[in-house]
Amino acid sequence: MNKRFLYLLLLPGLLFLTVFMLIPIMLTIASTFVQDGKLTLEGYLHFFRDGYFNRILLTTLRVSVVTTVLCVLLGYPAAYYISRTGVRKKSFLLALSIFPLLTSPVVRSFSWMIILGKKGLVNTFLVNTGLIDKPLDILYTPAAMMIGLVHLFLPLIIITLLGVMENLDYELVRAARSLGASSFTAFRKITFPLTVPGLIIGGILVFVGSLTAYTTPALLGGKERVISTFLYQNAMTLNDWQAASVIAVIMIVITFVVVGLMNAWANRLNPKG
Amino acid sequence: MRKWMKMGLAVTLTSLLAACGTAGNNNGATNNGAASEGAETSAPAELVISTWGFSEDFFKEAVYAPFEKEHNVKIVVEIGYNAERLNKIRQGSSDVDVIYLSDYYAQQGIDEKLFDTVDRANIPNIGKLYDIAKAPLGEEYGPAYTVGRLGIAYNPALVKGEVNSWADMWTAFDNNLTLPAITATAGPMIVDAASVVAGSTEFNEDQSFAKQKELDASVVKYYSQTSEYVNMFGQEEIAGGPIMEMYFKDLQAAVPDAKFVAPTEGAYAVMNTINVVKGSNNKKLAEEFINWQLSKEVQEKSAKAKVDSPVNTEVVLTEDEAKGVTYGADVIGKLRKLDMSFVNQHISEWTDRWNREIGG
Repeated sequence: MNKRFLYLLLLPGLLFLTVFMLIPIMLTIASTFVQDGKLTLEGYLHFFRDGYFNRILLTTLRVSVVTTVLCVLLGYPAAYYISRTGVRKKSFLLALSIFPLLTSPVVRSFSWMIILGKKGLVNTFLVNTGLIDKPLDILYTPAAMMIGLVHLFLPLIIITLLGVMENLDYELVRAARSLGASSFTAFRKITFPLTVPGLIIGGILVFVGSLTAYTTPALLGGKERVISTFLYQNAMTLNDWQAASVIAVIMIVITFVVVGLMNAWANRLNPKG
Repeated sequence: MRKWMKMGLAVTLTSLLAACGTAGNNNGATNNGAASEGAETSAPAELVISTWGFSEDFFKEAVYAPFEKEHNVKIVVEIGYNAERLNKIRQGSSDVDVIYLSDYYAQQGIDEKLFDTVDRANIPNIGKLYDIAKAPLGEEYGPAYTVGRLGIAYNPALVKGEVNSWADMWTAFDNNLTLPAITATAGPMIVDAASVVAGSTEFNEDQSFAKQKELDASVVKYYSQTSEYVNMFGQEEIAGGPIMEMYFKDLQAAVPDAKFVAPTEGAYAVMNTINVVKGSNNKKLAEEFINWQLSKEVQEKSAKAKVDSPVNTEVVLTEDEAKGVTYGADVIGKLRKLDMSFVNQHISEWTDRWNREIGG
């Protein structure tokens, strides 16, 4: 096919992204460096000098990291198991694991309220079995927020890992085993490094998703604030779009830094990519 | 090749921008058309109303439909929270004619010159309102069409003793209280109540924040929407907290023994206002709509349906009908009213302080 025609196919998508995503993002970023008509870094300095903002940032990072680690720990074995099952069982399990993505975050969060509340399933069970005397405070804590986020993002990591694991050449594992490697060594030396790309992509999706999630932290979280709810407060109720833009840019930068770090880590684990 | 691509990009961009321009012009033409048609028949095609989503069916049937019929107009409703809807107006991309807002947000709109002044001669029903509702944000702007009160609701089984005053929030609740977030409509009322409980006759910011900080340990969550409160109350996550009387029926549905009290220091007046947005092509009609919303007929219907408390003094309710409704000169006369202009001057500073010292 004519090469020019191929370029033309790219044009509508490219144009759409440029006009409706790239330009607005650039304008948002540019606006954060201008105050009263002067170029300045004051917006950023103000935030980073502020202990309160740093605390919100740390809370958000902590929640995002814990959510990502939990998703990896829960998603990896699940994806591995699904990838090794027969076609029919696989499609059933896959449908089951992506099911949370098909319901809205609001509905999911309300289900967790019923499960985690003082009169919820978990506390009722623990109290009735005599394991505890008084219901635990789970709902409206960072723990509830993380539970909601893990539920939300687990499907993402399972899908990405599954894609990688299904293309894995298990002949390599068999070869290692025939050469005397234990199944753990074969996993450590062959399966794991080859699935790192999936882990990285899944990890990035979960991390960035948790970093920017709004509904779940707003509904399940308590008094502790995360960066997205702070951004919402500035933009929607205080009408301070300058501060909201600065926060948005900080979120974008964190995302890029994390993507960079995770890629560097992936290269170290699996240099041939 | 590069030259060819550049040309392609330029052509596409130009046509895209041209398309946007045409679309804009078309809209303009439609609006103008509507306006001129309106001038001829005194019946513009559309009246856009920005409001909350609650009791939508009631409003459609009892408020919008009769007005549409009488004025041969189609009412288009835009729904959202106070802040969202006000922001749309701020962005300048909205074609809203009439906006319902709580007094706290309406004051922001006035301060930012987003609303048109109203001609009170076109809204004669204002004369029939309780004084508090006539001009809560100044004579030039829209009236309050309902006055609710913020008191304390609680589950008697979960608190220590009776709750009668704002001060009881500090003693009767044990890690099971909810308070409105500072940015919620009722947030500034708690700032004021804390100052009162601290013993100041004049508002004292430092004393208020110190007092609020004492209460923080007892708060499970600061709510931004009443639905959150109702949900927490039903699940017994909380024993209670400040809430508008109109929502008490939802609490009672979940906990039949629930109680609502107007604190002895005075419940707070929560006023919902109705204003004309600057740039409306249908100002006269918008004022007529405001007049209709204040009429005895609408006010009585919404009170009986327990949708909004009436401010029209001609509305008469039986004892049963008045249950859960802020009704009567006596009740309304005792309400504490915040100076919204003062609140708006300080809200950024209070929010920042609240974030750092209390609810952050």
